Parts: sequence; C-alpha cells; structure tokens
Amino acid sequence: MPVSRETYSVGETYDVIVVGGGHAGIEAALATSRLGLETLLVTMKIDALGRMSCNPAIGGLAKGHLVREIDVLGGEMARAIDATGIQFKMLNRSKGRAVWSPRAQADKHAYSRYMHDMCVQQAGLELLEDEAIEVFAHSDSDRVGGLRTRSGAVFACQALILTNGTFLNGLIHIGDQQFTAGRIGESASVGITESLVDLGFRTGRLKTGTPPRVKRSSIDFSATTVQNGDHEPEPFSFRTSSFDPPDIPCYITHTNQQTHELIQASLHRSPLFTGIIQGVGPRYCPSIEDKIVRFADKSSHQLFLEPEWVDADQIYVNGFSSSLPEDVQLNALRTVPGLSSVEFIRPGYAVEYDFFPPSQLKASLETKRLEGLYFAGQINGTSGYEEAAAQGLIAGINATRKIRGEDAVVLLRHEAYMGVLIDDLITKDTDEPYRMFTSRAERRLLLRHDNAHIRLLDHAERVGLLPPEHYALVREEGGLVEKAKTHIEKSYLKAGVVNPLLEKKGFSRSAESLSLASLLRRPGIDIRDLVDHFPAWIRNQPGRVLEIIGTDVRYAGYIKRELEQVERLQRYQDLLIPEDLNYLGIQAVSTEARQKLDRVRPETLGQASRISGVNPADVAVLLIHIRKHVSRETS
Amino acid sequence: MTPRQATYGRLDHPVLADSVFDDCILTYFKAPHSATGEDVVEISIHGGEYLQNRLLEVLVKEKGVRFADAGEFTLRAFLNGRLDLTRAEAVADLIHARDAASHRNAQHQLHGRLESAFSGFHETLMEMITHIEAELDFSDQEIELVALESYLPGLEELHERVQLLLDSYFYGKHLHEGFRIPIIGPPNAGKSTLFNALVGMDRAIVTEKPGTTRDTIEASKLIGDHTAVLVDTAGIREAGDNVEQSGVSRSLDEIARADIVIQVHSPDTEPENTEIPAETPCIAVFSKADLSPDTRPAGQIAVSGLDGTGLGHLQEALAARIAEIAARNSEGVIITTRRHVNVLERFLGQLKQCRTAITDAVGPEYLAADLREALHILGEITGETTPDEILDQIFNGFCIGK
Repeated sequence: MPVSRETYSVGETYDVIVVGGGHAGIEAALATSRLGLETLLVTMKIDALGRMSCNPAIGGLAKGHLVREIDVLGGEMARAIDATGIQFKMLNRSKGRAVWSPRAQADKHAYSRYMHDMCVQQAGLELLEDEAIEVFAHSDSDRVGGLRTRSGAVFACQALILTNGTFLNGLIHIGDQQFTAGRIGESASVGITESLVDLGFRTGRLKTGTPPRVKRSSIDFSATTVQNGDHEPEPFSFRTSSFDPPDIPCYITHTNQQTHELIQASLHRSPLFTGIIQGVGPRYCPSIEDKIVRFADKSSHQLFLEPEWVDADQIYVNGFSSSLPEDVQLNALRTVPGLSSVEFIRPGYAVEYDFFPPSQLKASLETKRLEGLYFAGQINGTSGYEEAAAQGLIAGINATRKIRGEDAVVLLRHEAYMGVLIDDLITKDTDEPYRMFTSRAERRLLLRHDNAHIRLLDHAERVGLLPPEHYALVREEGGLVEKAKTHIEKSYLKAGVVNPLLEKKGFSRSAESLSLASLLRRPGIDIRDLVDHFPAWIRNQPGRVLEIIGTDVRYAGYIKRELEQVERLQRYQDLLIPEDLNYLGIQAVSTEARQKLDRVRPETLGQASRISGVNPADVAVLLIHIRKHVSRETS
Repeated sequence: MTPRQATYGRLDHPVLADSVFDDCILTYFKAPHSATGEDVVEISIHGGEYLQNRLLEVLVKEKGVRFADAGEFTLRAFLNGRLDLTRAEAVADLIHARDAASHRNAQHQLHGRLESAFSGFHETLMEMITHIEAELDFSDQEIELVALESYLPGLEELHERVQLLLDSYFYGKHLHEGFRIPIIGPPNAGKSTLFNALVGMDRAIVTEKPGTTRDTIEASKLIGDHTAVLVDTAGIREAGDNVEQSGVSRSLDEIARADIVIQVHSPDTEPENTEIPAETPCIAVFSKADLSPDTRPAGQIAVSGLDGTGLGHLQEALAARIAEIAARNSEGVIITTRRHVNVLERFLGQLKQCRTAITDAVGPEYLAADLREALHILGEITGETTPDEILDQIFNGFCIGK
C-alpha cells in the first residue's frame, strides 16, 4: 500500500531533493541550486561525494564527447577533470575528426575533493549525510510528495531526483562470498526500491564489476610498456584557460596462456558461472573470466596498469575485472609479466543492484508514473561516470524548468550524444548496462567533440547555467567559423601560388586557380598548410578554432548530406502519438511490436521507429493510425 | 468454423431464391496464418457470373463489407510483414505473367530469390561496417586493424555483382514487356499479310495498294516460353503524303528499339536497304512464296501468309533467336521493374563514392557514413538497418571489453 505524505509529519520542505552524491547526483544538485532552487542533497557519505568507484579516468571514446556536451550546458565534470587530471590523451587520432575523443587519467582523490568542495561552497545547496529509505507520493495526486530517511526525517519537495547508483539492494560478490554493500566499504541502500515498487514501478537487476587494486611497489614496470599522454594536452572545458596538467604514465602488459588456464580451472568457483549472480552484466566491459570463456581462441588479453592518484601506491588493473575468489585472482595475475610478485590492496569484485527499466521515463527524465520524480544514472541501467553525469545534469535542468512552468529541454539525436543517450534509454528499455558508443549516434559526423560548444549554444543559453559572457564568446566564435568557411569556399589561389604546395604534397601541378576549399579536401593537406594564404582574422585564430574550420570545410559534403538526412527523417520523426492510442487494438502491427509499443508508449513516431522489434512496416501502419486518430478528433 | 478446414454450407438469398440459393464451401484462415496476416474467410460457390454477382450484391450491403481495392490484399500482406517489398512486387508480376518465362521469374522473386540477392549485397556492406565500427569504438582495445584500402577489392567485386543484376534488366524488361519484333520491308512486300498470319487473325488491313499501312500495329504472340510483340510497320519508301511519311518515320523508330527484326523481301518489289543496328538479330524472309516458290535467295525463309508456307520455319527461327537472348541472361536473378533499376543505379553511384572516400583518405567514420548511405539506398528494397544491428554484429564477432 503506497504511503502518502499525510502519513508522516513533514519536516523541512525543499524545492528539489537529490538522492545520491555520485556523478549524476552532483550534476543534478549543482544545476538546480545554481538555477536558484533550494536544494537538498542526501548522501550516505559526504566524504564520498564524486567518488570514482571504478576506473580512475574521465572521457574516452564517445564518453569524451559527452563530457564536452556536459560542459557547454553548464555541468561541472569537464572543469573537475581539467583541474585534477594527471594524464590527457586524445583517442582515435588516427581516425577521422568526428570520432576523436578526449580522455584523461584522474587523480581520484583530488577529483572527489574538487567535487566535494564545489558542493559545499554552492549557495542554495544543503548536504545531508543520511540514507534515503522511502519515496512517497503527494496525497491528492500522482505527484511526488517527498522522502523519508533512515534517521527518521521526512522531507517534502516539488521535485525528487534519484541517483542511487549501485546502492539499491547492492550485493557484492567475491568468489563464493557475498555481502550487501553499495560498493566496497559502503553499505547498501534498502527501502527505496520497495517503496517505488509499491508506487507501481517496474524494477530489474543488473551487475557490474571492478578489477583488483594492487600495490605499485609490488610491480616490476621494466616488464611492461610505458604509455604517456599527449605532448600538447587539450582541456575538456571550453572555459578552462590556463592549462598545464602533469603527464603521469600508465603501463601496458598482457595475460597469457598460463593465466587463462588458471582461470579456466577455477570457473566452478566463479559466481558468474555457477549462476549465483542473476543480474545481467555489460557485454562490452566483461570480466576476465567472461573474456576467457567467450573468446577461448584468444591467447592473450591486454591489461592497463593505471595510477589512481599522484604518487599513488595504488594501481588499477584495467582489463581484469573479476568476481573470482581472491586467491584465484591473485594467482592468475601473478602469471602476467611485471606482476609476478604483485600484492593486492583489494581484490576485484562484482556488484548486483536494482535498476528501473528506463522506458518508465519521459525524455525529460521525469517518470511517467509520478510527476516531479526524476531518475538519473545507474538507476536507469547505464554504466559510466559520463553517462551518469549527463543524465544528472538533464534531470536537474528539467526539474527546475518544470517547477518554473517551462518546457523541458530535450536534445535530439542529431544534436548531441546526450540526446542519443536519453532517447536510447527511454525507447529501448535497456536490459544490460548501457554504455555510450559513437556508433549509437546515427548523425555521428555532426557530433564532434570539438564543436560541442557551438552546436549546443542555443540550448545552453536557454538553460542559462553559465554567466552570459560565456555564451557571447561562443556566439562570436561560431559566427567567425561560419564567416571563415565562406571565405575559404570562395577564395582562389593562382596556379603559380598553389603549385609549390601541390608538389610538396605529391600532387601534380595545376594549370588553373584552385579554391582554398578544394585544396583542403585533398588528402594530406591540413588547414595549417594554408594559413599563409588566409587573411589575418582567420590566421590569428587559435589552433583549436582553425581545426573546427578546417574539418567543417573538408567534410562539407558529408555534413550537408547528414543535415539532409536529418530533415528527411524529421518530417515524421516529430509526429506526436496520441497518449491514449490503443496499440493492442491495431491488428496490422505485429504482436511483438504491439506489446513493445504498449509498454514503451513512445511520445513520437520517430521514437516508435527506434524500438527494437518495431519494423518499418509497423511504423507505416502506425502513421496511418495516427492520421486516422487525429482526423477523428478534429472532425 | 475450424481454422484451415473447409466447411460445407448452404446460402440463402434474402430475396431471390425460395429455397437454397447455392451450396458453398467456407475456409477459415486464422490470423496470422493467412495470406494477409489477418483473419480471412474464403467463400467458394459454383462458378458463373450470375451467382457470383448476386452474392456480392448482398454481401457489400452488409456493414463493414466492401470491394477490395486493386492490390489491397498484397498491401495488407506487406503491412502485416507477410511479404517484403520485393515479394509484394512479385505478386503483381505473377498476376501479370503472360508466359512461362515471366511466370517462372515472378515465382523465383516471390520465393525470395531477388530478396536474397539484395541481402547478399547488404551482408557484404554490413561486414565492412562492422569492422570499421569495431575499430572506431574499441580502438583502445586489441582489435586487429584493417587498412581501409583492403576494402577496395570487396567494393569492386560488389560493384560487379550489382552491375550483373542491373544487366539482367535487359532480359527482365522483356519478361515484363515481351520481345519487340517489327516486320519491315518495302511497301507492298506482304508484311501485313505475314503479320496477320503470325498472330492468327486479321488485325492489319491488307490491300494490293502499296502504302496501305500508315501506322504501326502490334499484337502479342506466345513464342516458346516467351511473349513476342509483333509489330506491323509501314513500308519504307519516299513517302507520298504526310500521313504516310509519319508512318515511315515510326517504322524507323521501331527498327531502332527492336529486339529482333523480320525483314521481308518479295519477288515483286525492289530490294530495299534499310539499315538495321548491327547488334539486332535479323531474320530475312522471302514472302509470297505461293507466287514464285523457286526464286528464293539463299539465307531467306520462304513464307506465304496466304497458304501458311514457311510459317513454322519462321516461328522456329524466332524462338531460336529469343532463346539465344534469354540464355545470355536467365541464369541468375533477374530484375523486371524500373524501380529496382533506379535503386540499383543509385546504389552503384554510392559504391563509387565509397571507393573515392577510401582513396581520398577521409577517415573511417566518414567511409562508414558512405557505406551506411549505400545500405540506406538498398533499404528502399530490403528494409532498414539499425545501428543496434551493427553493434550486435560487433559483439558477436569480436572479443571486446576491459
């Protein structure tokens, strides 16, 4: 029986309450309080704010894009890593520009401290160390009422944002040992799931894992390969001005046949294979035992040894996530070059936790069932700090806008990876931990990390989290980029001028004038090769801006086609589906599609078309039905 | 009624019959196990338009009953996922099949031969995309790197396969439209008489006056497994009036678009030397064989439209030429519609763009976009590709993850 607020005598009232102090919760709470709402952040451990439970890194393929987008919308993650990163590297440099992606190793102590201080100093944000144990509804409506905590406090609020991470009924597995915990050394959270189920929410179980942490002093680095960051590191935030981070190396080593044999022989002691772990784990971040079983013909797997903070004696063994018993993990690792006498600080482990299938959410991240209730982060079935932060920020922004009676901010799939992320979640109802990939974005070529601030400027300004002068600067830069592109398309160089460059680059001489743009589209010619031919107002731009211009010009044909495709689809993508459409009554739609549509209840035809199991023919039938539905109502 | 069982019954007519109107058999197909994927009941009654029409009259007065639109059952089958687009199109071809060869081809298409050719193209591209995507999203892991240039031979090979399919339209068009065979020759050579004899009726007006046929006249005839469209043309000469002149010009057009030409010579006309395109097979006949049976030049088939002399020979010769053309094409999959030609031509253009992307070194994600665009074009025939499908393939084929 769901409890309403009348059951309790309500203590304090806040505009917004955020539960959870991880990467989602921090962004949500900072956003609402910065936008002027009285916000309470409830966390089980204030010292653990912004803690990196798994790898000591921010960014990476597709995730780096997310961080850049979070930054321009006014989130904190990019600035935090710029301030506390210890090695910066642009990934995918050998690929095209659209998939270059920034990544940084973090000093996880410094990172957590940065976030902690940011929250403590934030005006309008109160922190409470307590455990949230119950969500209740408002007595007279399908609206959220408030929150009850372990210590007995009852708070009322207009918006409640849940970012419980892996804590809801968290259960840790190390070999045949199990104990309830949210992450190692921190207790699980009990009660929230149960109260949400009482309120009618569906829940599921997922699993994730983390590798062992080992003593730096026990590693022989001479047997490994050193990996450094970039010589000219680039910051994540477009607001970071002075930037001179350290470059602390990581080390690469490999497992071998002997490692694999040891693990193979101990599979009967792995909770993953004995069936003790019920939750579904991420396919793309499998445990070492999973990799060895699924890819039995592979004789070696790569491991990265990553320092967890500056001068750390603690090393993260990236690639060796495991829930095998500690002795098996240790013996197996000791077969790896450089690790023959390795010592554990703590073993790897797996954690199972409750999540809420995200098709129960609207694009604003508000739940469909209870107005004013928002979910963000792993509670929605995602994995990764960046995915969590992106959702936290959007939930915070939209909770604020709802309270103020404004439209929700919904980023579209061709506008941002954040748009892809949220649309995927609410549409596909993920049944395994969801991680961002560049290939999830159909319009990937438009969504470069380097142009995130320009492409999201309008949304960012509408959100209004940053001081206005930042928007003005970006607008100016965007205008300049456009002007420069036109100039490059329309300016020609005489054959005599262009031939030395052509010859130098191995092309045959030209008899006629060539446009700067046509030169830029030749393989091997970079915008820096042409700066001498630019007017000063282009030439004097920083390299970062020149790269944006050069990429836009070189790939103009691709960008144009992408935009045309967006428009082609948009015509029916945005078509709204009546909320009361009776899917089960549409005989012409396949049974599977009918059931999925009925469960997800997509808001637009575009969203319907992306549900797996809904084929193009189903969409065509839906289109006919929507038209019929609309004409019936208007006639 | 039990699904998939014939049920016997009797029909009463509300007005007409005092007793039984007709016997009937009802067959119930329960959704989705029916041709359209919906609930279907078939009513069989005795033949005869009278009975059928009376029954339909009564039925359409019932609420919710109406006549089906043209192609509506096929459309419903398509909308219900019972047929893909290529198969839906095959149904139309099957209905319109006029001869054994086009029937055979439509059957092949209905049973998925065309679809499987297209999915073959689809697979080739998906394999490339899968590899490229894996390298893009998991480049920090140990994916075996493949140089983009190594996709060039595969793309070229695909290009050839598509071109071969496109070439089949030359034959496919004939399955759709028939082989076009004009009968040409000087005025009064006996073309119309031969035409009438071949098609088996008096379609063309025959007089002794040269230049009687002013317009082209055509009629279909089954020759072997194929349909031929025989075309009677105006005799070619310096024309007397404007009407005849325009008839002559049509005759020349017919020669230009002909698949096979029957060139008629006769003992009582001047030999004429109209130019026939070198690649068009030509059968020379010597007409009016009934008049002067022994004057036939070598290499010409002596025929008489009047007494039927040589018609059998001529038909055999035509069948042999048609068979030659068919043999060049009918081995593989055949496309018969302009729509497929259009899609495939754009597909070829996009494949070329993919090769340019590789040689211009635009970067793998841009090449992937070009490959996806190619898939998208193909999707107009086979159905869309989703990024999920691509991710699934990656996971199934590679060892990925930390």
